[in-house]
Order: sequence, then structure tokens, then C-alpha cells
Amino acid sequence: MNSSIFPNIWRFLGLILGQGLLLKQVVQTVGSAWFNIMLYPIFILLLPVQLAAPYLVLLGFAVGISVDMFYQTPGVHASTGAFAGFIRGMIFTAFAPKGGFNAKDPIFAPHYVSWQTFLSVSGVFFFLYLFWYYSVEAFTFVYFTSIVLKTLSTWSITMIFVILYAALFNPKQ
Amino acid sequence: MGRLLQLLLRNGGFVTLVFVELFCFMLIVEYNTSQAVIWANTTDIFGGRLMERRQRVSDYFSLQGRADSLARVVDSLQERLSYARYVQVPVRDTFYRITWDSLTASDSLRRKHVRPLYEYVSARVVENSVTGVNNWILINRGKNDRIEPHSAVVTPDGVVGIVRHVSDNFSIVMSVLHSQTRITASVDGTGAFGSLEWDGKNPEVMSLRNISKHFKDRIVPGARVVTSGYSMMFPRDIPVGIVEASPTEDSENPHFLVVKVRLGQSMSGITDVSVVHNLFSPEIDSLKSKIKR
Repeated sequence: MNSSIFPNIWRFLGLILGQGLLLKQVVQTVGSAWFNIMLYPIFILLLPVQLAAPYLVLLGFAVGISVDMFYQTPGVHASTGAFAGFIRGMIFTAFAPKGGFNAKDPIFAPHYVSWQTFLSVSGVFFFLYLFWYYSVEAFTFVYFTSIVLKTLSTWSITMIFVILYAALFNPKQ
Repeated sequence: MGRLLQLLLRNGGFVTLVFVELFCFMLIVEYNTSQAVIWANTTDIFGGRLMERRQRVSDYFSLQGRADSLARVVDSLQERLSYARYVQVPVRDTFYRITWDSLTASDSLRRKHVRPLYEYVSARVVENSVTGVNNWILINRGKNDRIEPHSAVVTPDGVVGIVRHVSDNFSIVMSVLHSQTRITASVDGTGAFGSLEWDGKNPEVMSLRNISKHFKDRIVPGARVVTSGYSMMFPRDIPVGIVEASPTEDSENPHFLVVKVRLGQSMSGITDVSVVHNLFSPEIDSLKSKIKR
């Protein structure tokens, strides 16, 4: 477990900076309400499989509040990060093969599980993540249709970046 | 204790999530403008409903007091009705009285002699303040109840204020405890009249200013102060209070006297009020406009 601390710290810093400095600029340059990329939650997805739920929630909050500093939306990403940390365990339970994921697999990455499982889990994870994010951003379900449409459009773009990230960096721990 | 700890450990993720989300929620409504606006609107709507519910509970416990206050309203109305039932009919050099009920609607006497000048609408006080220099009262009647700005608001015990702003279902009343309030009132039985104002200090005492000096000896403590009727808003003889002390020279205007008046209606305990609307105010206004330049 100790050996996995540093890769996660680097991932934490890299994803926050990538999201806050690079992806934010890209999204602002495109300037469409329907175009958004949210790659940083993959940090929560790639945290050690055996990590207990309270830690996941707190780390999700930490990564969210860091991104909030770049977006100047205190609490919005933090709330979503904490929520994502909580639901990750549930999604894992739902998609795990009989007997659960192999306890020897340190993280949930294509290197250890099949691409198919990785994409199914991250697809559901990012969909729920984005739905929560746009709900908190709108702060009312009056705009429910717009929330769902934004979730779907952002989800389809973000998933391309998730695949690219997993293929390029191929995280192992 | 052990079980509680186990429960917390087993549901640790959920408990942490609840605490973290509560914290995030505070951050969001504190530092994000659009979310803060939505939250403020939501709390207004729900807060209003909650206040109304709380009011209903407290109303239940003050039912006895309200029944007493309403009984007094009924008494005063019955008294007024008893006068209204009789019409004084002049015949040559004398008057005789007949009962109003004996007249038919088409009877010319009914149209000629009794013409209501004011309309009364009862209302409940929803919000009230007495601590500021300019105090306002919110009542639960508005445009839909035929309330109009510049109507008088009274209780059987005294004057309360003047309607200033009206929405569909509510009205804002400028309390008599407002620095801008000017109501013409007279000391009953003396003919002395002046302008009733509040100095912003004691909410139970107002000043009757601009009284001519020759009334100095005729105004005695304990005399009734009533509305003079020299105004379109307040009908004549609505009680205001009693003279608290002998008149003194007005330091702001030495040619006139000032009298301290103890209000008959305690302004902090108003529940039911009547809004008095002058039915002829449009006609009087248009007439008055002819002498204004």
C-alpha cells in the first residue's frame, strides 16, 4: 500500500494542474455550453481498490476543492468529488466478478481488469459524477432537461479523454 | 456504545459523505452567486410557509386574547349600527327619528340622508415593529380586498397608521410610530386641534403639536383625544388616547402649544385592525386638484 502513495500524489497534482490549466483553457477557447471535459475524477477511480470509503470521500473532496480553486466555484467540484468517492465503491460492487475484484490488483486500471470492465465502470462512474456536478451547478431541478443534456454531451467527450489517459499512461499502481 | 461505533464504522463512508456534503453546501451558498440567489429564493418560499405555520400555532394559543379583541370590535360595530339604524328626518323646524330598517331601498330618505362615507375592511397584522424611528406594519389584506393607499388603519382603541403600499394580498402600513406621520387630532370637548406626531422615543406617547395658545387652560390631563375629521383619511371621533400632561409651549414653534398624548392602543400588541377607506376620495381628489396649480 505504501508504494502506491507516491504515484497517487503525482496523479493528484498532474490531474489538478492538467484540469485547471490545460483542459479549462481548451473548454474556454471552444466556449460552448455543451462542450466540457472533466478528466480529473479519474484520480478517484484510480485510487487503491482496497481503500476504505471514508478516505475515498475525503480524497474526492480534496481533489474537488483543489479544482474549485482554478474554476472559482468553491464547493461545487468538492461536493461532486466527495459524492464520486462515495459511489465508486458501489459501482465496483455492482460490476465486480464473483468473489469481488482480485485483492492483489492494487488499482482499477485496464492493466489489471479487462478494457471492457474498465470502460463499463468508468462510463457509469463519469455519468453519475457529471449528473451530480451539473445538478449542483444548476442548484435546482427546474433545468432538469438541460442538466441531463449537458451531462450526456460532457460525458461523451470526457470518455474519449479517459480512454486516451488510460492508454497513454497505462497506470499500474 | 460498541454497537454505535460498529454502525459508524460500517457506514463510515456515508457518514463522512453527509458531513462533507453539508460543508460543501455551506461553501456553495456562501461563495457562489447564482447558487446563493437560488438558495435565498428557496429559503424565502419555505421560510414564509414555516413562519405561517408557526404563526398558526401561536395563534391557537392566543385565541382567548383574539376572541376578546374581536368581541370589542363587534361591540363597537354594534354601537355604530345602532346609530345608523336611526335617521334624523327634518320636518319644518323640528327633527324626528325613524328606524333605518323601516325604509325601503327605493325610499328617497334612504338615499338622501344616510350615505356611507367610509368603508371598513377588517385585517390581521402579520408583521409589526415599534423599535425603530420609522416603523411599518404588514397586514394581510391588499388590492384584492379593495384596499387602497392612503386609507386609515384603526382599532376600537385607537389609530394605528396609514396604508402606503398595496400588493394583491398584503399592504404595508406606515405606523403612527413613524417620523413622517401627521394625523390631525383634537382634544374632545374643547375644539382644540393639532397635528399628532411621534418624536421617535416612547412608543406609548405621541405629541399633539400646533395647538393655539388660547386653549392652554381648557386642556386638562385625562381628556380624550380623538381624530378631528379634518382629513379625508380618518373619520371623525376615532379615539387616539388621553392627554397625559398639561400643555406646554412648543420649543420648536413658540407660538403654539404641544400636548403629550398617551396612546389608547398599545402599538406593540395589535392583532386585528380595520382599514378605513373613504369612498369619496377620488371625487374629493379631483375637486381639490382644481385649486392646485
